[in-house]
Formats: sequence, structure tokens, C-alpha cells
Amino acid sequence: MSTIRVTGLRVRHRRTLALDGVDLAFGPGVHGLLGPNGAGKTSLIRVLATVAEPDGGRVEILGEDVADRGPRGRVRRHLGYLPQEFGYYPGFTVREFVAYVAWLKEMPAAGTDAAVERAVARVGLADRIDAKVRTLSGGMVRRVGIAQAIVNDPRVLLLDEPTAGLDPEQRVEFRELLRELGATTAVIVSTHLVEDVASACTEVTLLERGRVAYRGTPAALAALGASTGARGDSPLERGYTAALGAHRAPGEVTR
Amino acid sequence: MTRWHASDDLVTRYTDGSLPEPDAWSLEKHLESCGSCAARVSRAVRATAAGAVVADVRTAVLGAAPAAPARAAAPTASPALTSKARLARLLWAAGPAVRGAWPPAVLLVAVGAIALAYGGGFAGARPLLLAIAPVVPVAGVALSYGAHADPLHEIAAATPSGGLRLVLTRTTAVLAVSLPLLTLTGLLLPASGAPGAAAWLLPGLALTLASLALASYVGCRIATAVIGGGWLCAVLAPPLADPGANLTARLAAQVSRCLDGASAQGGWAVAAGLCAALLVVRRPAYDRLEQR
Repeated sequence: MSTIRVTGLRVRHRRTLALDGVDLAFGPGVHGLLGPNGAGKTSLIRVLATVAEPDGGRVEILGEDVADRGPRGRVRRHLGYLPQEFGYYPGFTVREFVAYVAWLKEMPAAGTDAAVERAVARVGLADRIDAKVRTLSGGMVRRVGIAQAIVNDPRVLLLDEPTAGLDPEQRVEFRELLRELGATTAVIVSTHLVEDVASACTEVTLLERGRVAYRGTPAALAALGASTGARGDSPLERGYTAALGAHRAPGEVTR
Repeated sequence: MTRWHASDDLVTRYTDGSLPEPDAWSLEKHLESCGSCAARVSRAVRATAAGAVVADVRTAVLGAAPAAPARAAAPTASPALTSKARLARLLWAAGPAVRGAWPPAVLLVAVGAIALAYGGGFAGARPLLLAIAPVVPVAGVALSYGAHADPLHEIAAATPSGGLRLVLTRTTAVLAVSLPLLTLTGLLLPASGAPGAAAWLLPGLALTLASLALASYVGCRIATAVIGGGWLCAVLAPPLADPGANLTARLAAQVSRCLDGASAQGGWAVAAGLCAALLVVRRPAYDRLEQR
């Protein structure tokens, strides 16, 4: 059974249609969400995180329709969400920040301390756990964001541009963590870095102007690039441009 | 600390699942505080089929997180740390306003009013305080919730605590700070024809609830600006606009009109009740409040 099932999803963002009749299903594994800026990646993640309201369609997470308040509350306990941008309280240490989110997620108080330490260790910040968040570098703050997302061992993990601001070594470590999490969790990662998808994702969803342009494994996307001879510096990049081109070609007239 | 210990028979029946549920609960409660019994029960459980599963899970978890400190098995935190943790949680619940610049601002209003009355010899200190006080909790609400006030809003909105419950917890904290402090300040000021020091409590509550109810339509920032600004206009504008008699007397008269007497107070009580009812009806809107 799919962990997430989206049917006919329509989302308006300001005056444009950010998502237009999207049907998707996600099970456990790491799902890469690719697409040009403004393709609807963030809108999709925010709807799945239950913070944005869809204008049409149905969103089922863990078998529950999140349009209703009761189920939405239950689903939220099992969510992990890293927004593209997030702030922090100036006085908080890493430990306090992650523990605060654990408290918001209504985790039982008894297990919180251990869960916080584990989550912080998993993002490689164990030695900075008692440092104030404001003293950390941008990449470290992003890792704190990942720690708060995974502190409750979520069944659905939504990461919006998690690799932004990470240096190459941290990205490699982060992809390892992704693979590990994907064994049991439905992880949805939006990214504009094609390499993230190549090494960490089990499946790729390519969005373009609010519609699904391509779905398949990274290998299939790379093969598509090889067969069409599209532009790009790596097989996957060629696959990306090829899939986008194929999607745009018939739709260009109607827009 | 504990007076009894689990018998071998009890442990056996607990591990094979034949112990009635209430007895099992009682034993589990005991295990939370008794290390020696907990050790015996976990030894016994390890010998069962469940023990093998737990061992597998443990190996998998430890293998998956090599960097995780092996502190999970250690005894829990000391009582001192627990009370510290409890205080931290109380502050978390209070929200960003009460941890931030808002309490000093409330204190400034209180100290300022007293300084005006006794240092500056200003006779209208109590009417002025009564005019400003109802806006103080409204400002607290403005600084408590929403994308503009809470840097963690987007993260909090995706958690089960997000929404009306978090707003109400934070509002309670705001009221718990401002109501006693400003009422006490009012008591210390000379009356000079103004209503009693507690006269602002119901209006303060009503305006706060009105802000919350309106916020479910337009967001916290606009709602608090409209309600707080509206009140200030209603109470300050007429005396300021009237060129007659002295300002202090006019302010006291206007504050009295708004706050004094059974009909005014009754009106505020009804307003508070209506706003609370509206807030209950509007509860679902809070789940998706202040989105981009």
C-alpha cells in the first residue's frame, strides 16, 4: 500500500496554478522531486506537510484523508518536515531546538532526550549539540533542520531543498542518511541538484509547470537522456533535459 | 524508595503474557522506578521469542546509527535536570512573545504609569493605564503566533500541536503575565475619577478573544492591529479631539464611559462570550492559518 496517495491535486499559489491535476503515489523509499524553479515542488511538499490547503483533489497520507481535522492531527505525529526556509529562536541550543520540535510533535517526554541526541548524532552534530543555533554555519543550521524533521522517526519525511548550503562532503554524508531513512520511511526530497537524485533516490518525479513530466528510476531517466542525445554534463542531466523537452513539446501551444 | 519487588511468578506470567492487564500495568509502573526489578524482567523477556526480535531491532538500530551515543540504556536524568526540563517546557509553551521583548514592554507600561503618577505628578495616570492596558495582551497575541511573529511557524504548523491549541496556550501565557501585573499597577495609582483598577479585565479579555477570532479570517498581524488600533481610537480619539476642559478629566470621562458600570461591563462580558463562541466555530481555520 502507498504511504502517500495524491489524486487530482490542484494548488493555487498567489494567482498562478502551482499544481494542476497531479496524481502521485509514494511508498517507502527515497523519492527525488526535480523540476525547474516554480515547477510546483515546494507547493507539493507544503500540501503533503499539511500546512497548505489544496484547492482541489484528494491527499491521503498513511491511509487517512488529511482534509479532515481529526485524521490530520494523527498524520502530523508521523510527519517530518524541513521547510525550504525556517528560523529559530535566538537563545536556543541545538538540543533545545530539536527537543522543542519533539515537544510540538507530542512525543512522550520520557524518550525525548534520547531521541534528540540520536537525531542530532545522525546529522553529524553530536559535538555541537549544546552550541547555540545562531553560532552555527548555514550548512550546520540546515542539518539541525534535518535533525528536527527526523526526531520523531517519521513515517513520512518531507525535505524541501535539504542539500542547499551543504558542502560536497556533507552532501555525501547526507545522501547516506537518506538511503538509510528510505529503508523504512517514505522520504520525499525536493532538489535542484541532479547528483542528489542519482546517488540517493530510488525514484524520480519530475515536475514542470504544475504537472508531472516524468516518473521513473534514476537509471531509466539517465537511459532516456542517452537515447535522445539531449544536452547536459552527466547522463542524468541529459535525461532531465530530455524528459523536460518531451513534456514541453506537445504542451507548448496551449501553455 | 520502593517498598515491594516483583516475585518470580509475577515476572514469568508477565513475560509469557498471562498476567491480567491491570496487574501488568501495575508492574510496568513499578518498573519505571525500580531498577533491579526492571533488570530481572528484561532478562526474562530476552529469553522469549520477543527477546530475539528486540535483539534484532537493537542490532539494526545500532548498526544504522554508529555515531549515536550509547546513553539510551543509562539511568534517566537526575531530578534536578527534570525540574529544569519542566521549566524549559513551560517556557516553550509560553511561546515567543513571553520569552522575547514583550514582558519588558509590559513592565515598561507598568513602571511608566507609576513614574508618571508619583514622579511626574500626572493626575491622569490611572485613566491612561486603563486606556492602554487592554491593548497589551492584544500586542502579546500579535507577537505570539503566525509567520511574522514565530520564526518556527512553518515547522510548528506541520505538528499536531500547531493551530488553535498552540495559539490558546500562548495566549494564556500572555494573559497570565499581563492581567495581574497591570491590575496591580492600577491599584497603586491614584483613582482621580477613573474606574476601578480591575475594570479593564473583561475588556482586555474580550479584545484578546476578538483578535483571535478575527485572526482566523485575516491572520494574527492584521487582526491584532485592527482590534488594538480600534480600541485605542475609541478611547483616545474623543478626548483628544475635544478642545474643551482639561485633557485628564476628558480622558477619565471617556474611560469611564467605556469601562464603568454594570451595563458596560455586561457588554464586555457578552462580547467576550460571543468571540469565544466564534473562535470555537472558526477552529478549523487555525490549522491553515497564515500561509503564504
